[in-house]
Amino acid sequence: MGVFYIGSIPNPIKQDELPEHRGDTQNGELMFWAGGCASCHAQVDADGDEQLLLSGGLEMPTPFGMFIVPNISSDADFGIGAWTDLNFVNAMARGLSPDNKHYYPAFPYTNYQHMTLKDLLDLKAFLDTLPSSSNNAADHQLALPYSIRRGLGLWKRKYLKREIPALNVPSTPELERGRYLVRGPAHCGACHTPRDAFGGVLADRFLAGADSLEIEPGADTDSASRIPNITPHDDGISSWSQSDIAYSLESGFDPDFDSFGGSMVHVQENMAMLPAEDRAAIAAYLKSIPAIPSNQN
Amino acid sequence: MKKSFIAAVVALAVAAPAYFAFAADDFAFKSQIEGRQAFMQVYRFNLSILGGMAKGDVEYDADLAAASANNLLAASKMSNGAMWPMGSHTEAAGLADVTAAKEAIWSTYPDIADKGKDLTEALTAMAAVAGDGLESLRSNMGAVGNGCKGCHESYRLSRD
Repeated sequence: MGVFYIGSIPNPIKQDELPEHRGDTQNGELMFWAGGCASCHAQVDADGDEQLLLSGGLEMPTPFGMFIVPNISSDADFGIGAWTDLNFVNAMARGLSPDNKHYYPAFPYTNYQHMTLKDLLDLKAFLDTLPSSSNNAADHQLALPYSIRRGLGLWKRKYLKREIPALNVPSTPELERGRYLVRGPAHCGACHTPRDAFGGVLADRFLAGADSLEIEPGADTDSASRIPNITPHDDGISSWSQSDIAYSLESGFDPDFDSFGGSMVHVQENMAMLPAEDRAAIAAYLKSIPAIPSNQN
Repeated sequence: MKKSFIAAVVALAVAAPAYFAFAADDFAFKSQIEGRQAFMQVYRFNLSILGGMAKGDVEYDADLAAASANNLLAASKMSNGAMWPMGSHTEAAGLADVTAAKEAIWSTYPDIADKGKDLTEALTAMAAVAGDGLESLRSNMGAVGNGCKGCHESYRLSRD
């Protein structure tokens, strides 16, 4: 019956669904960079190995209220050091906490759910090797009705769709890998795809650009950040070759040799940690997706 | 080495009016904002020469690489404070469409100046080796990119 699944009321993965698998920390590290864990969970100006201390605490002001990033370091009390493999997989793939509560989708489990269980277990094995922090990250401060966590069950019923649209070109291993990375761990659509009023991504506008959900301190609506269209449309990056895209992810320079800025700086630096063939795969997939204009009307 | 810098400036003088044609005709700090955007184009022009070689799109040319790297280093040492008058930020009335420079540049000063020093440092290293071979050039592109991103991450509004 395939992979079709709709999340609604807490419906966790069960222990007997986990594969027999010994976590591979090398692949786990690749998933760590692909997934951009450090961009939110490390300290804002973390550099080099500081990015491995996932102490949380970053404040993310959004139209729904203030999200405060949790500590996911290996600390058993303040981080996730006491979690089992099953706890971890349910957080990433179902958006459920160890006590079966819904997580807010600011944590991009709507994308991480597409990761294979093996990749998730590898990531867990890698996270287990990272240092611990006893930072006690505060709770989110959200406005009604978003502060009612149980309401997320309904949200998930509508938005947590497990199927990934098929490739619209003949499949190759490179395109499949690119699709997996873009749709799953790298969660490109979390920023580049616009959302509706309830924060659900508009699937038919996949990667066609969006207003940033993060509110810039002091900025009015006219000067809100725009996240660019990265579909192969004239409004997007149709003029970028596959190697342009791959090189931009490696170097941080676009084909005109302007540098990336804003939140893409972190993302690009994560992508630079991947093997070159993974950046090439992402680029190949981005060239293959439907071209969509930026205009939303 | 000086020649390509002059060429860049001349190219800019020709291209700039078209490039900024989208913008309003008249706005506050017009000469400063246009001046700093042209200044950024000088960076970009020279970076495109180094980057084209690093990427493999253009054949490596030691003299041209060294000249471009020296142009970049010279640019990073140019006094450009006069191009950044207080109040010329994108959040200011009437400036949303003509500049992406965020008010945080001024409100957190001198952080941006420190970041500028990081760029000069990266370009000093690049200029020292850009003419020594493609591998030397390539291995320094990342640090130069970090120098650019250092300011663009926090101080330039992202646009599509």
